[in-house]
Amino acid sequence: MTEDHRITLQGESIAVSPGETILDAAARAGVEIPTLCHDPRLEPAGACRTCLVEIDGWRRLAPACATVAHPGMIVTTENARIDRHRRSLLALYATDHPADRAASEMGAPDQLLAMTERYDAPTDWGTMPPCREGRPDDRNPYIHYEPDTCILCARCTRYCAEVEGVSAITLAGRGSQTTISTVDRLSLLDTTCELCGGCVDVCPTGAMTEKLPLVREQKPERELEKIRTTCNYCGVGCQLDLNVDPEANDGRGAVVKVTSPEPGTTTNDGNLCVKGRFAYDFIDHPDRLTVPLIRGADGALHEASWDDALEAAARGLLGVKARHGPDALGFVSSSRCTVEENYLVQKLARAVFGTNNVHQCAAT
Amino acid sequence: MAGLVTTFGAGAMTNSIGEIRDADFLFVIGSNTSEAHPIIAMEMKRAVRRGATLVVADPRAIWMTTIAAKHLQLRPGTDVWLLNALAHVIVTEGLMDQRFIDEHTDGFDAVARTLAAYPPEEAERVTGVPAEDIRWVARRYARTERAGIYYTLGITEHSHGTDNVYCLSNLVLMTGHLGTPSAGMNPLRGQNNVQGANDAGASPVFFPGYQRVDDDEVRRKYEHAWGTSLPSEPGLNLNVMMKRVGRQIRGLFVMGEDIVISEPNVLRLEQALNENEFLIVQDAFATTTMQFADVVLPAAVFAEKEGVFTNSERRVQRVRKAVEPPGHARPDWRILIDLARTCGADWRYAEPADIYDELARHAPRFAGIAHARIDQEVHDGMTGIQWPCGDASDPGTKFLHEGGILRGKGLFQPVEYRPSQELPDETYGLVLSTGRTLYHYNAATQTRRERGLVAKQPEAFVEIHPRDAQRRGVSDGDLVEIQTRRGSIRTRAILSRQVRLGCIWTPLHFAEARANVLTNDVGDPITDTAEYKVCAAEVIRVAEGSETELFPGSYYRA
Ligand code: SF4
Ligand code: SF4
Ligand code: FES
Repeated sequence: MTEDHRITLQGESIAVSPGETILDAAARAGVEIPTLCHDPRLEPAGACRTCLVEIDGWRRLAPACATVAHPGMIVTTENARIDRHRRSLLALYATDHPADRAASEMGAPDQLLAMTERYDAPTDWGTMPPCREGRPDDRNPYIHYEPDTCILCARCTRYCAEVEGVSAITLAGRGSQTTISTVDRLSLLDTTCELCGGCVDVCPTGAMTEKLPLVREQKPERELEKIRTTCNYCGVGCQLDLNVDPEANDGRGAVVKVTSPEPGTTTNDGNLCVKGRFAYDFIDHPDRLTVPLIRGADGALHEASWDDALEAAARGLLGVKARHGPDALGFVSSSRCTVEENYLVQKLARAVFGTNNVHQCAAT
Repeated sequence: MAGLVTTFGAGAMTNSIGEIRDADFLFVIGSNTSEAHPIIAMEMKRAVRRGATLVVADPRAIWMTTIAAKHLQLRPGTDVWLLNALAHVIVTEGLMDQRFIDEHTDGFDAVARTLAAYPPEEAERVTGVPAEDIRWVARRYARTERAGIYYTLGITEHSHGTDNVYCLSNLVLMTGHLGTPSAGMNPLRGQNNVQGANDAGASPVFFPGYQRVDDDEVRRKYEHAWGTSLPSEPGLNLNVMMKRVGRQIRGLFVMGEDIVISEPNVLRLEQALNENEFLIVQDAFATTTMQFADVVLPAAVFAEKEGVFTNSERRVQRVRKAVEPPGHARPDWRILIDLARTCGADWRYAEPADIYDELARHAPRFAGIAHARIDQEVHDGMTGIQWPCGDASDPGTKFLHEGGILRGKGLFQPVEYRPSQELPDETYGLVLSTGRTLYHYNAATQTRRERGLVAKQPEAFVEIHPRDAQRRGVSDGDLVEIQTRRGSIRTRAILSRQVRLGCIWTPLHFAEARANVLTNDVGDPITDTAEYKVCAAEVIRVAEGSETELFPGSYYRA
C-alpha cells in the first residue's frame, strides 16, 4: 500500500491495495455500504445494485462490490442521489416480496425487509403476483425454497458453484419467471447437492431456508439464542452457532437449528458441511442413555442411582487391580470428548490406578 | 502420529487451514478430502480456482480427482513405492534443497542410498502409476515453494502406516518445504478432538504435551504434581490392548466408543469380551458394546457441556453448553471426577476451566492457553489459540518449524517397501479397503439417527468395479456377501467407476454390515494402528437387492 494507492471516500483519503474493490476498501476504513448479493467468498456479481456509489467523472452510479478502487478515485457513498436511487430500488424489490414480516421470516432473518425499513423505502408501490416456480414437492429433508421471497440475487447458486463446487442449483427459466431450480426440477436429494446448506446460509432474504424448523413449527431464528461452539464431527473444528430455544423440552432447551459465523472470522470461513449444519437429531433422540445401569445377578442391566453405579464401577476396577495388578486394566478414552475429559481419563489411569494402559480410540 | 513426532518433533498439521487457499501445489494422498474434510476441500477448491496445481494419489477416483492436474491411481498398499520413487526423482535430478538439508536435517545420505533402488519405471510396475507422471509430480513438487502435503487415514491405517509417514517426511525435508506458509506436512484428523486427546496425554507413551512417561524428569514432575508414584513403563496401545482383552487385560473402562464396531477383527474381540472380568461403558447412547458392560454411565453430548476441542491445525477452541442433558445423564468430566473420588482420590475441580489450567501448568506447549483467553481474544482475525503457546502474552503459532525444526534437526528415515500383510489369492481375489463417507460418521451412533443423512445413504454398500461385478454376476443394487478370512457381511453392491479393477471399498459406519468383521488386525510395528485399508476379500451374489433406493444422486455410480 504505497502513497499513490489512495482514494477519496466520503471526503476522507484512504489507502487501497491493488485490485481491491471499493466495498472492501470502505469496509477497512469503517465505512458501511449496504449489500445484498455480495459475499466475500464469491466473485463479485454486481447483481442487486444496493451497493451503488457515486464516482466523480462517472455518469452512472457504480456497484461498490464489483468496482475496483483505482488510485485517485473520488467516491461518495451517501448523498441525496444515492439515497433516492436506493429507496426506489428497495421499493421495487418490495413489490415482489412479502411485506409481512412473519411470512417472510418463517426461517432466517430477512435482510431485505430490514434494509427497507432502515432506509425508509416506500412500501406502497403495489405487489406483483408471484410468478416464480418453487419445488414444493422436493423430498430432500433439509432445504426449502420459498420462491415468493427470492430476489434472484443468485448468492445461493454462486455459492453452490464457486465454494461448494457442485452446481446443484442454478438460475432457471426466463424473464419474470426466472427462478432457482435444479436440473429437471429434481429433488436436491437426486442431484449432486451435498446438502451443505450453504445456500441457506448466504440467502439474504430467507427464501432458501431450513425445512425442519418449519415442519416442526419451531420458533423462527430471531427468537432463538445463539451459542457459539465447536463442531463435534471431523477434525476441521468448524465454529458454529447452536440456535437454541431455551424453553423447549420442558426447560431443558432444544437446538432448533445451526448457523455458521460470519465469513472471515473463524477457520471455516462461514462454511459448514452437511453434518455440521444439519445432523443434530441425535441430541434429543430416544436412544440417549438417561439413567445409570448395573448388570444384575440375572444377567440383565438394571437402572440404578448414580451413587450405586459409581460405587459398582469403582469396586469393579479396584477389584481387577487387586486380583491381577494395575496393568490388567485398560482405559479407552475418546477423541469425541473434550481435552479436559481426556486429561482426566489419563490421570485416572496413571495416578489413581497406576497403569499407562490408556489410549484414545482414534490415535490417527 | 508417532511418525511425525519422530521426524519433526510434533505430531500435528505443520500449517494452518487458512493457508491452503494460498498454496501453489497441493499433494493430497490417502485423503478423500471432499467427503472426510469437506471444509478443507473447499479451501483446496479455492486454491485450484486461483491456479494451484492439485495432485491426488489415491486408489479410488475420488471427487477431488475431477479438479486435479494429475491423479496417481496407485494399487492399494503400494504408497511406499510411489513415495520413494518421487524422492528418487528429486535426488537423481538434483532438485533437493541442499542448504536446508545441511542446516536442518540428519540422515539424508542413508535415505539417498535406499532410494537408489526405487526408479520410476520399476515403480510403474509395482504401483500402476505411469513413470512419466511420477517424474512430473516430483519435479513440480520440488520446484514449487508453496507446496504442501495433506494426508489422513488412507496413509496411516496400514500395517506400514508409519513407513508412509516417514516417506512423506523425507519428501518434505529434502525439498525444505517446512517452516514456511502454505507448505509443510498436514495430517487431517478424522475426528473432532483426535488432536486434543493426543495433546492431553490419552496415550500409553505420553503424558500431556508429548512428554514421555519413561523420561524420569518428566515423570518426577507429574509425581510431584499429582502427589503419587507413577508407572515408568509405557502402556499398551489400543490395538494391542484389544488383542489382549480377556487375557492380560481383565478390566476395561471405555468412554465414548463403540469398540465392537470400530475395532478391526471384531468377532475375535467379542469373544474376548466374554472372558473379560469387568467392563464400564460411559456413553451418551446405547451402543453395541453395552451388551458386554457391567456398569453403564450415561454421558452428555457436546452441546450439553463446557470444555475445549483442538482441531487438526492445533487450534484450541471452546465447546460451550447450550442445553441440559436429558434425564440423569452427566458430562463426562463430571462423571470422571466422581469416579476418581469414589475410588478414594481427592480430585477437586469446580469446572472444566480448572482442569485445563492444571493441564497447561505442566505442559509447556500449552502453558499460555486458558479458557478465558480463548473466550476473549482474537488473533489474525480468528478465534481460538494455536499451540505451541508458551505464556499468556503469546498469540500462538500459525505454522510450525519457522526458523528451525522443533526437535532441533529434522530426521530422515530410510524406508523399504513391505507388501501389505494380506494380498489377493485364488480364494479371495479382491483387495478390500474401508473408509468414511460424507454422510455418516464413525459408528454412526449420531448420524444414523439423522433423517437427512439416512435419506442420502440409508444402508451399507460395497463399491465394485463394473468388470469385477460382471465376472461375478453382480448387478447394481444386488445383495452380496463380502467374505474375508475373518468373517463375512451382507450388503448391497454399487457398480462404481471410482474403484480400481480388482479393488472393492466399503464404508465402516454400519452396524448391520460391520466392515470390521472383515478387516485385519495386524498392526503397524510402531503405532500398532490396524490395517483397515488393505485385506484380501471375495464378493458373492446372494440375491436381487431390495426396493429401497441406494445412495440417490451418487457421484460414483458407473
Ligand atoms: S445445499 Fe450446498 S450443495 Fe446443495 S444446493 Fe445448497 S449450496 Fe448447493
Ligand atoms: S461442519 Fe463439517 S467440516 Fe466443519 S467441522 Fe463439522 S463436520 Fe467438519
Ligand atoms: S451487493 Fe453490490 S450489487 Fe449486490
